[in-house]
Formats: sequence, structure tokens, C-alpha cells
Amino acid sequence: MTSSSVRLSAVTKSFNGTDVIKGVSLDVKKGELVVFVGPSGCGKSTLLRLIAGLETPTSGEIIIADKDVTYAHPSKRGVAMVFQSYALYPHMTVEDNIAFALKIQGRPKAEIRAKVHEVAEILQLDHLLQRRPKALSGGQRQRVAIGRAIVREPDVFLFDEPLSNLDASLRGQMRVEIARLHRKLGATSVYVTHDQVEAMTLADKIVVLRAGLVEQVGSPMTLYRHPANLFVAGFIGSPRMNILPATFAGSTADSVRIQTAQGSLIIPRKDVSKPASDKIQLGLRPESLSLTAPGAEAHLTGYVTLIERLGGETFAYVTLKEFDCEPIIIKLDGETAVHNHQEVALTIELKRAHLFDADDQALGHAPDFDPAQV
Amino acid sequence: MFNDKKIGSLYVAPFVIGFLLFTAFPFVASFVLSLTDAQLQDQLGSANFTGIQNYTEMGRDATFQKSLGVTFFYVFITVPLKLAFALFIAVVLNFKLRAIGFFRTAYYLPSILGGSVAIAIVWRFVFAGDGLINQALEMIGITGVNWLGEPNTAMFSIILLRLWQFGSAMVVFLAGLKAIPEDLYEAADLDGASRLRQFWMITLPLLTPVLFFNFIMQIVQAFQEFNGPYIITGGGPLKSSYLLPLMIYEEGFKYFNLGYSSALSWVLFVIIAVFTAIAFWSQKHWVFYAQDREDKNGGAQK
Amino acid sequence: MSQSATADAGWRKHLPVINAFMRYGILIIIGFMMLYPLFWMIGGSFKNNQEIFSSIGFIPKEPTLDGFKKGWETSTEYTFATYLINTMKIVVPKVIVTVISSVIVAYGFARFAIPGRKLLFALLMATVLLPKSVLLIPQYLMFREFGWLDTYLPLIAPQAFAVEGFFVFMIIQFMRSLPMEMEEAAVMDGCNSFQVLTLVVAPVILPAIISVALFQFMWSMNDFLQPLIYLSSVEKYPVALALKMSIDVTEATSWNEILAMSTIALAPSLILFFVAQRYFVEGITSGAVKG
Ligand SMILES: Nc1ncnc2c1ncn2[C@@H]1O[C@H](COP(=O)(O)OP(=O)(O)OP(=O)(O)O)[C@@H](O)[C@H]1O
Ligand SMILES: [Mg+2]
Repeated sequence: MTSSSVRLSAVTKSFNGTDVIKGVSLDVKKGELVVFVGPSGCGKSTLLRLIAGLETPTSGEIIIADKDVTYAHPSKRGVAMVFQSYALYPHMTVEDNIAFALKIQGRPKAEIRAKVHEVAEILQLDHLLQRRPKALSGGQRQRVAIGRAIVREPDVFLFDEPLSNLDASLRGQMRVEIARLHRKLGATSVYVTHDQVEAMTLADKIVVLRAGLVEQVGSPMTLYRHPANLFVAGFIGSPRMNILPATFAGSTADSVRIQTAQGSLIIPRKDVSKPASDKIQLGLRPESLSLTAPGAEAHLTGYVTLIERLGGETFAYVTLKEFDCEPIIIKLDGETAVHNHQEVALTIELKRAHLFDADDQALGHAPDFDPAQV
Repeated sequence: MFNDKKIGSLYVAPFVIGFLLFTAFPFVASFVLSLTDAQLQDQLGSANFTGIQNYTEMGRDATFQKSLGVTFFYVFITVPLKLAFALFIAVVLNFKLRAIGFFRTAYYLPSILGGSVAIAIVWRFVFAGDGLINQALEMIGITGVNWLGEPNTAMFSIILLRLWQFGSAMVVFLAGLKAIPEDLYEAADLDGASRLRQFWMITLPLLTPVLFFNFIMQIVQAFQEFNGPYIITGGGPLKSSYLLPLMIYEEGFKYFNLGYSSALSWVLFVIIAVFTAIAFWSQKHWVFYAQDREDKNGGAQK
Repeated sequence: MSQSATADAGWRKHLPVINAFMRYGILIIIGFMMLYPLFWMIGGSFKNNQEIFSSIGFIPKEPTLDGFKKGWETSTEYTFATYLINTMKIVVPKVIVTVISSVIVAYGFARFAIPGRKLLFALLMATVLLPKSVLLIPQYLMFREFGWLDTYLPLIAPQAFAVEGFFVFMIIQFMRSLPMEMEEAAVMDGCNSFQVLTLVVAPVILPAIISVALFQFMWSMNDFLQPLIYLSSVEKYPVALALKMSIDVTEATSWNEILAMSTIALAPSLILFFVAQRYFVEGITSGAVKG
């Protein structure tokens, strides 16, 4: 018995000759909640459906709980799925919806009843059991859909954007509920979402997909702190990481000297080999930039062109002098006194700066990152 | 959704079998029969192959020519009138009127019942010499007409029976009208377009898919009308309401000329096929589809 | 000047009312004229013959059940009950097999990758447009070979093979409008495709199924040509043939009997129509508008 619950090896899938999944290998450990993120159309749902058995891979292997299920019927894989549209059976009551899978399995009536009620209690659906889906709110429907999955006691839960049909506040509430449920049941889960907050808060491990390929796998903080490439860097974190053009000017064992339009900077960075091209990219998250405090060193200067005050925090758009690039965004405290057209000096938290080569791959890694741990 | 071709084939197997046995085979057999002098009472083996004689025979058969003319007359009168009337009433009903449900029911009812023998009989009584219409005319001092006894008026009574059943086309129009977004009219109102103009510029173009559907269905049905003339006029007088389906039936099952009857049915088939082909071919010139219907119907519908 | 302007405004103020008045006027008059033959038929069945010929009103002055009593006896050795029962013996099985076969075939078309699907679908649509008279004679000869003449089998059996493309098409349209995820959920819950159909899809498209059943019911009640060809013994006649026979025999004299029996013949359809009107509307429009 290994500790892995779902294992994909070199899975590909093409529809009518179009490759949608181009060779994905992945391990999901027992009890882990893995989140798939990626731009629309990158194949998240397809990958999930391959695990579910709703699609069969063109090549590769899918192993769930140590059994090769590549070609097994969906119901024989020990997986349960929660769909984006809930996919409740409209002609059945909540109770029958939850009980349906057990009925198909031909379990005894008494057992079904007991289980359904147990699940209903966990999800606080007890008082709704006799209603039809039509008479439920969005959040309640979602809970029924989850209940329908739980009752089967699957090895793996699959969620395809389960919260995207809910309004913002309900989504937050359900997110917390799913996290609570996951802790309680400790079930292995694969979760597809568009929502960064969901991905960051729920995931033990995030899988970033692009065009049918895995870009990076890691814990939320790993992806945030140490994106393997520009794509992941841009995808995780909001607002997006700012990218500035720079040139490589030499490196030591734990730092890199770069040249920007406003002068040279020394970035703490380990394991940097000389890039193929001198043209590189400097990545700065809005939160690792700040207005230069009196007495501190200024790294960049520019003009404020737009201010967005959200209350607790303020985003300032700054057009940098000399640079040929978009205005950069910096994240400031809510009360910070800035105004439009103000000339500002910015300080970079240098050990949080990112470097990417011309091919968008990360150039070395931050000094506090141990690649061996991942 | 399911990729298993074997199981899928199992589901459509009834249709395939039924199609081969009850449609394709009879369809071909009917053409083969039309090239023979088969008689209903004889063994099929004793029929002789006569080539296209049955078809050339039609050139000399005054009854056929009469029947063909009458059929075209019937279709050309009923289809446009029925569609126009159905559209008119649908448009009137589509204004936000109270009790629209009531009127829709009242107007739809005849097309549900209209094909029945009972209605045909009532029709016959309504137009009979001492029937409802003549009684009504008499009350206002007009001498009645022998409706079913005169060629022109006999046809008129049959035509009226079909027009009476405009409800199904109307219901389809009504659904089509309901599907036209309200804001198009609001925008047109702001542009100062008159109601009549709005009808021509917005309603009619957006309704063309529905009009097309109704047109095809009405053509196909009108060419196949049987119950009305058979029961109300028996095709008479002087074959003035002797529609082709009636002639096909009588040639086959009254005079037992299976060969000739089959040939007639093929003529009817070709006529309908030509009309539907023209309609389908011409639709790109006048039918306006709001969005491209991407393979929604298995791509085969168009 | 200003006076005429206000007068004009006054007139315009009433325009919507006048408009509505005219619309209702037109609708009511047309509706009344359309339904009058039906009223007249029903009224006539409660009149005596003399009154039918002397008054065009539809409310009988001296209501009598004579027409029903005599009409029920019919001019044959069987009562009208026999013909009604015969009709049901044809219509009920026909409706059942139509519904079952249409749903199954539609499901195959809507949800499966089948070889030659486009061609088959085109053939299905072609059957809607194909005039039935082309098939009439070979079908007759075929059923004669089967020894099925003067039985109900020729009327019923073909329907078990989804021969009415219209119905199949109607159900396909409904199935296509269903979210695929619901069926996928059923698959995940352990259903095979047939269970998905019977336990999930069929109950959900019940309105469409009811529409199909109702249309087939009406069409079969109205069907005249097929029984005319295939049935020869009077004891097997459905209502349609019995009515036709009765006008051949008694037309000159007993209109009230015939009107009474016509009323009875239409009663099942009338009742169903009023009870289930919305299914007719849904059914007929699904093909035209969604398509
Ligand atoms: N059954 C199918 N047939 C053909 N192409 C398909 C099919 N299912 C998915 N695709 C294609 O595969 C690609 C990936 O689709 P998928 O639904 O997995 O994307 P996704 O990452 O879930 O996107 P989204 O975030 O929008 O849900 C898309 O380009 C889609 O058009
Ligand atoms: Mg998706």
C-alpha cells in the first residue's frame, strides 16, 4: 500500500484529433486536497473527468487506491463527483437524490435510510429531506450535491468548480464549509476552480495547468513564493505580479546583479546559472513594493497615475521613469496618503523579487527556498 | 455522451429495422409495383412488367389530370391562406391581452379534432342542402346553395375545413413571436419606427424560421388530405374535389389497380419532394437564422 | 386651435381602449364562428331531428336523449360501446408502443456516438416528409402476406419501431435541452445507460413524453384510412369506421343520432385536450422553435 490515492501517469486525451491533455503525471496523496487551476480551456475539467471515468484517456494510466481504473466504469472507481451545476435529479426529493446511488447498488432500505440521515445531519439538510431541488436555495442545492457524493463514502471526491454558481458571500461561506468537511472526513479530494482564494485557502497542493500540461505542482505558498515560471507567477497572486525588463549583469553564489532602466540592483538569489540571453525579467509582487521610508534606499521612481482605495488597502498605479513597460501596481496600506501625479520613490523588498529568463523560466530561486523539500 | 457504439446502435436499432421494413422496403416496392399491372385480387407473381406504361397512361387519363389540377388548386389556396390567417391571429394574440390562453385554446381546438371522421360528418351536415349554412342564409332571405352538389362550392367546403384548422400553425407562430426579444421593439420605438414597419422589419424576418417550418408542414399535409374529401364529398361532384390521395386509394382498393395506384402515389411523392426541395434550397435566400446552429441537430437537419 | 389640440389629445387618450376593444371584438367573433360547428354538433345531439332542420341555434329547446339512445344502438348488431372499445384496443397499445420506441430511439440519437448517425438522422427527418400513400399498397401486400388483414396488428405493430419521425424528433429536442451533467451524475452514481434513461432522463422529460402520447392518441382516434383498408369485419370496426358506416345508412333521416355519436366520438379527445392543453402546445412548438 502506497500513500498515494490517485496517480496519473503520462495521461493524454484528444478529442477528434485535438490534443487537450498532453501528458500529465500526477500523484495525489491519501487525504490530500489537490486543486487544479489554470486558464479557461486548459483542460482542468477534462482531467477531472478522466479521473472520474466520464472520459477515457487516449493513452496513459489512471490508478486509484492502487487499482488500475483507466478503463473502469465511473461507479467502480470509488470516486464521487460534485458538479458545477449541481446536477441534482429534479424529479426526486432531496432524500431520494442522496439515496440514489445506494439504491442503484441495491443496499437494504434500512441502511440507506440511516446513511442518508447521517449525511443530512452533517450537512444540515435534515429539515429539507422531503423537498424537491427546485424548492432549494443555491447553497442548499450545493449541499445536497455534496451529500450525494459523501453518502457513497468514496476514496476520492471530485469537485468541478462547485461554488462558481453561487454569489460572492455564499461562496465564501460554502468555501469554509468545504474546508471544515474536508478536515472532518479527511477524504482525498481533487478540486477544480477559477477562484484564487479558493485555491489558496483550500488546497494542500495546487496543480497549475496550461494548455493540457502541468506547469507546476506545489503547496499554495510554494507557488506564491517560488513560481517556477512567469506563467505561474502571473496566475497565482492578485493583483498580478509586475514584470519589468532588465538585463543580466553577473551573479555570485547568492546574488544576481541586474541592470534596469533606472540603474542596477542586487537581488539575493541562489543557484543562478548564466542565462542564455542577457535579457531577463524582473518580477515584483505589488505587496513587495512600498513607498520609500525616510532614510531608506529608493530602488525605483515614478509618477502615480491611478489610485484605487479599497478601504483596508490601497493600490497605486505607478508609471516608472525611463522604463518601457506598463504602469506597475503597488499595494499600500489603506490610509496611505498618496495622490495622483505625485512623484514617488519605491523600495523593493529585494529577497522577495523574482527573476525570469527570456524563456519565462525562473532564474535561480530565493535564498530561503530549499528545492529539495518540494 | 456515451461512446459505446454497440450499445448506441442497439438503441436506434428499432428505428433502423422499422425504417427498412415499413418505410424503405415499401417505398422501393411501390416504385417497382408502379412498373407493373399488378391487381389486388391476383397473386403478385402473375403481374406483368409493363415499364413506364402506367406513367404514360396518366397522360391520357382525364380523371388523373382533373385530380392533379384539383389537388394543386387545393394546396395553393389552403396553404397560403392558412398561414396568413394563422400569422394574423398569432400577431393579434401576441399583444399583451388578457385571456390569451382562452383564445389560444379556442383557436387551437379545431386543428386537434379537425382530422376526425366526426368533424368531417359535422361538416357535411353544415354544408348539406338543409344544413346549418343554408338555414342561416334562409333566415336572412337568401336562397341556399347546393354546396356539396356544385363543383365549385364542394371544393370550397373542403378548403374551408382545412382553413378551420389553422390553430396548430398559429400556436407555432405564437411561440416564435414570444421568442423575439422585447428590446428589439423598444429600440425600434426609440428609432421612431411605426408598428407596421416594425412588423416588416423585425417580426417577419425573425419569424422566417418558424414560417419555414410551418410552410413545409402545411405543404406536406395538404398534399395528403384524405378524410375530408372522402367523407364530405366523396371526391365529387364531377371529380371536383377528387384529391390525389383519394384517387390513389380508389385506384388501389376500389378498382384494384395496384400498379396504377402505385404510379400515382409516386407522382404525389415526387411533387411533394420537389416542393420541399425548393423550400429547403430557397431557405438561404429568405430564412433568417439568428445564430448559426452549430451542428445542434447532429448537423443533419438542414 | 388649442381646442382642437385638446380634442385630439382626448381622442388619443382613448386610443388604447378602442384598440383593445377592436382586438377583443375580432377575436371573439372569429372564435365564436370557429367553434360554432362544435356547439351546433353538441346541441344537435340533444335535439330532435325536426328541430335540427328548423333552427340554427345550438341550445336545444326541448332537450332529449333520443339521439344518444338510438345512436348508441346503431344500425348494426353491435352497440356503439363495441366500437368505442375497439378504438381503445387500437389506440391504447399504439400509444404505449409509440412512446416506448420513440423514447428509446431518441435517446440513442441524442446521447450516443453511433455509426452513420447523420445519415440516420436525415432518414428520420425524411420520414416526416414522406407521404404515407406511397407506402400504402406495399404495406398492405406485406401485411396480407403476414396474415394480418382484419386484425389490429397492421395499425399497431409498425409503431413499435419508432416509425413516426416527428415524435422521435420532438423527444430528441427535449433531450438535447437537458444538462448533460445530470446524466453524468447518474452514471457516477452507478447507472448503466438504460438506467440513466429510465430512472433519470425519462422522468425529467415526462412533459415531452406526455405530448407524444397525446398527439399519438389524437391522431390514432382520428385515423380513418388505415382501419378502412385493413379491417373488414364490422365487429372490429373502430369509431371512425362506424361513424362513416352510419352516415351511409341513416343520413337522410336521423341527424341527431349521428351528431350524438359524433359528440361521443370526440368526447375523449375533447376532454384530453382541455385537461392537457399545455402539453399539445409544448409538443408542437418544441420541434419548430427550438430546432
Ligand atoms: N467532449 C469534447 N469534445 C471536444 N472537445 C472538447 C470536449 N470536452 C472538452 N473539449 C475541449 O477541450 C479543451 C479543454 O476543455 P475543459 O473543459 O477541460 O477546459 P477547462 O479547463 O475546464 O475550462 P473552463 O475553465 O472554461 O471550465 C477545450 O478546448 C474544449 O473545447
Ligand atoms: Mg471546466
